[in-house]
Amino acid sequence: MMQGDGDPTLEQALSGAKPPPPDRDPPGQAHAGAGVLARIEASIPALRRYAIALLRNRDEADDLVHDCLARALDKLHTRREEADVRAWLFAIMHNLFISQTRRRRSRPTPEALDDSHENAAGLRPTQEDALFWRDLQRGLAMLPEEQRSVILLVSVEDLSYAEAAQVLGVPIGTVMSRLARGREKLREHTGQTGRLPLRRVK
Amino acid sequence: MNDHPIPESDLHAYIDGELPPDRAADIARLLQEQPEIAERVAAYMAQRDALRAGLASIAAEPMPPQLDLQAMIAERLAERRVRWRAAAAVLLAFLLGGAGGWVVHGRLSGPPSDLTLLAQDAIANHVVYAADRRRPTELGAGQREDLARWVSNRLKHTVAPPDMGPTGFHYMGGRLAATAQGPAGLFMYQDESGQRLSVFVLPMPGAANTAEHMVHVEGNEGCAWIDKGVGYTVVAPVPAAELHNLAERVRQQFDSQT
Repeated sequence: MMQGDGDPTLEQALSGAKPPPPDRDPPGQAHAGAGVLARIEASIPALRRYAIALLRNRDEADDLVHDCLARALDKLHTRREEADVRAWLFAIMHNLFISQTRRRRSRPTPEALDDSHENAAGLRPTQEDALFWRDLQRGLAMLPEEQRSVILLVSVEDLSYAEAAQVLGVPIGTVMSRLARGREKLREHTGQTGRLPLRRVK
Repeated sequence: MNDHPIPESDLHAYIDGELPPDRAADIARLLQEQPEIAERVAAYMAQRDALRAGLASIAAEPMPPQLDLQAMIAERLAERRVRWRAAAAVLLAFLLGGAGGWVVHGRLSGPPSDLTLLAQDAIANHVVYAADRRRPTELGAGQREDLARWVSNRLKHTVAPPDMGPTGFHYMGGRLAATAQGPAGLFMYQDESGQRLSVFVLPMPGAANTAEHMVHVEGNEGCAWIDKGVGYTVVAPVPAAELHNLAERVRQQFDSQT
């Protein structure tokens, strides 16, 4: 039966540290504190970066992150502590990504990652770096999704192998072998041979 | 010694800082002896650094509005209340044997709360006055100070119409409004498309402070809160997230008035 007209977790989220409003029963269950929400909020830029790098389409990526946040709010009552919030969010997003990819056969043309911040200051000080970054992006786009996501989670988002394994729902050994294969393919693609930084003439 | 094989997985664990310190030191030493592998490791590290640098700016971009977590929470709270009240109304109608008729939302679970009473008065006044195309206000925008003085006197509480600034809602004027709990102030605003927003101020001595709550009465959405014995409600036909922002703006101004 109906117990009340609100979700105590969300109620508290909205009112922060203030006491519950008088028209609500005192919440009968423990709920995620403001700390979990603060951590979710702090993770949004990284979630979005990962989604954009994975999907290479900003609109789709923003939709994916939005869905992820909505799902996280749905499941907020399952979070009792603040640990692992980031990995938990990445896991939710990964699951959404997988189910959406399965549902949809054709994907819109991916956009280049750097189209919108080609001129970002300090991003690419040299022509050499610019070429390397471009090759890297292309290489990343050509990788199987499972290798791309491991590389992004570990290299860019700083997840530990254990966290990446949790996010992707695979054993740690699988994370490591995908990482090794993906990195090696990227190395071949970007022509990283000889000394670094890369010297390459087009 | 030179041919001492390093497992591939250890190379990556070394790059990613996943090895215990002594094993990492071993690898560092072995790499010195095996320049080809060292070069490969350097290449992987360069990849990682370039990816981080290249993607760093994405995380620094301004967030699109759809990823505003606070707004998402506010919206969900509003939706939940709507759903629950709709369910409660259906249940009540059922219990009454299909008597139908008008159900006062919010009066289904025990005695009405202060917030419920406030919201009902605010929305009732909004419905009556905002719908009046010709005379929605008693004193117009030109008599802002007269209205503030009049309402403040009657409410025995100093209050002035908030400025909605760049929100698109322009001040139209206001009036004294009637409630079962005494006089209230009603300030009216209108945007380019003719949509009207009202700010309702009702002294409620003894009522406990509350956070902002989305309230919903008969198809009208509002955002209500009680602060220092005064109830406030902002009502406008806009999405919940936007309404929440508008209410936040109003709240800040009333906070600085008191």
